Amino acid sequence: MFEFDFMRHAFVGAAVVSVLAGTVGWFLMLRRQAFAAHALSHIGFSGAAGAVWLGFPPLSGMVVFSLMAGFVIGAEREGERGVPAQRDSTIGLVLAASLGLGAWFLHMSNRGSSLATTLLFGDVLGIDLRTLEALCGVAVLCLGLLAFLGRRLLFASLAPEVARARGVPARLVSVVFMAVAALACAACAEVAGALLAFSLMIGPAATALKLGLGPLAGIALSVGLALGLSWGGLMLSWVTDAPVPFWIGLGAALSYALADLWRRFRSL
Amino acid sequence: MVDTKRVCCQPERGLVLRDVTLTAGSTCVLRDASLTVPLSGMTLLSGRNGAGKSTLLRAMLGLVPLQGGEILTHGLPPAQARQHIGYMPQSVTDAALLLPAVSHVRAAVDGLRWGLPLRLRPRREEADRLLALTGASAFAHRPLGLLSGGERQRVGLAQALAGNPDLLLLDEPLAALDHAGQEQTVRLLGDLTARLGIGIVLTSHETEALAGVVTRVMQLADGGLHVRV
Repeated sequence: MFEFDFMRHAFVGAAVVSVLAGTVGWFLMLRRQAFAAHALSHIGFSGAAGAVWLGFPPLSGMVVFSLMAGFVIGAEREGERGVPAQRDSTIGLVLAASLGLGAWFLHMSNRGSSLATTLLFGDVLGIDLRTLEALCGVAVLCLGLLAFLGRRLLFASLAPEVARARGVPARLVSVVFMAVAALACAACAEVAGALLAFSLMIGPAATALKLGLGPLAGIALSVGLALGLSWGGLMLSWVTDAPVPFWIGLGAALSYALADLWRRFRSL
Repeated sequence: MVDTKRVCCQPERGLVLRDVTLTAGSTCVLRDASLTVPLSGMTLLSGRNGAGKSTLLRAMLGLVPLQGGEILTHGLPPAQARQHIGYMPQSVTDAALLLPAVSHVRAAVDGLRWGLPLRLRPRREEADRLLALTGASAFAHRPLGLLSGGERQRVGLAQALAGNPDLLLLDEPLAALDHAGQEQTVRLLGDLTARLGIGIVLTSHETEALAGVVTRVMQLADGGLHVRV
């Protein structure tokens, strides 16, 4: 299967996205922002539809739309205990508004169903060299920002009030992290599609957290699992002809279920 | 350990309120209140439910704005004073309950730094020291969510002690503990003030459990703060 350029690109793209999704996803799950991950990738879909309508590459539209939504979600005023009281409402409404825009963009671009299918379910086998370069750029930027932000982000995520009391600029940290998450979601959507992009972010990270691992081991496992899911998905798709996102979604749920079983078994 | 050099160089020890007006929702916590009170030993901040005890602690840290006047802690305004203050909120933490307790303390130890750590060992050793100090070593590697209320309080105290503060602000540290748990926590707090020389300000309704241990009581009532020793 590696004799084809498109397969080699797919494997490299999946690897880049997996490292990003495993890391960002771990923080998203730690901060209980699974809904944000779900919403951001769908918002990216609307951006991609808009970009196609205007004649730009879909990834650029995904990045711009996700980034704008990330800023809006991250900038929400925090409640007394350091967590935005209306977070889910804000995310839900930003999602609703952008999906509405997405429907309009699809209508205007006059390429409705085929375009929607590609954007929603992804086209990992269609990644060209240019897209691969863009994905690498997004990954380096996101991981660099996360490395810079990491310790304050971890403190603000585990003990928001204590962190604020010690002088951590929790809101700034939250905004920058949501921007990183938005970029990561856009990158994931390129591989797994808008509908299942969050499965790469959520599944591996939730599994790592379920196992009760500390931050370093948890992020390492999350990245490893994301890599296993995306590469495994590509191989199984090659063999079975079932779409890659199908295997990724199924694998994510299965890994979490296994972690849950293992945890129950240990507590017996 | 307490940074004695830092302590010696500070001009004014204790809590100073100058014409402070502070509100919490529709409740007037303080109205033009002025006061100077030392914060050595253990200080109980008391008052009826909703009087604004937690709000006053949070104002000392600059987490809620004053409507007028200024608060100085050890001679410093909140933004600078909080570098020398450890804080434990009422609900210690309900985030990431599956993570081991020690991870929560490690995060607090170097949570003020940007970038990746060059060496992990100093952070681990400091977290272990803080957990030992609060008697939490035995359950440090268990998930936070599996700990009892008293055990979580000890982890929260270890977090609050990160950064070697001169002063601890503890919001209802005895709430939701049974009698034995309250006794253990009071003993631990007394031990911390005696061994480390740290001042403690705590809010609590459990005045009986604290009898004989507190150095002074600050009563929050009718928009004023009244001190008795």
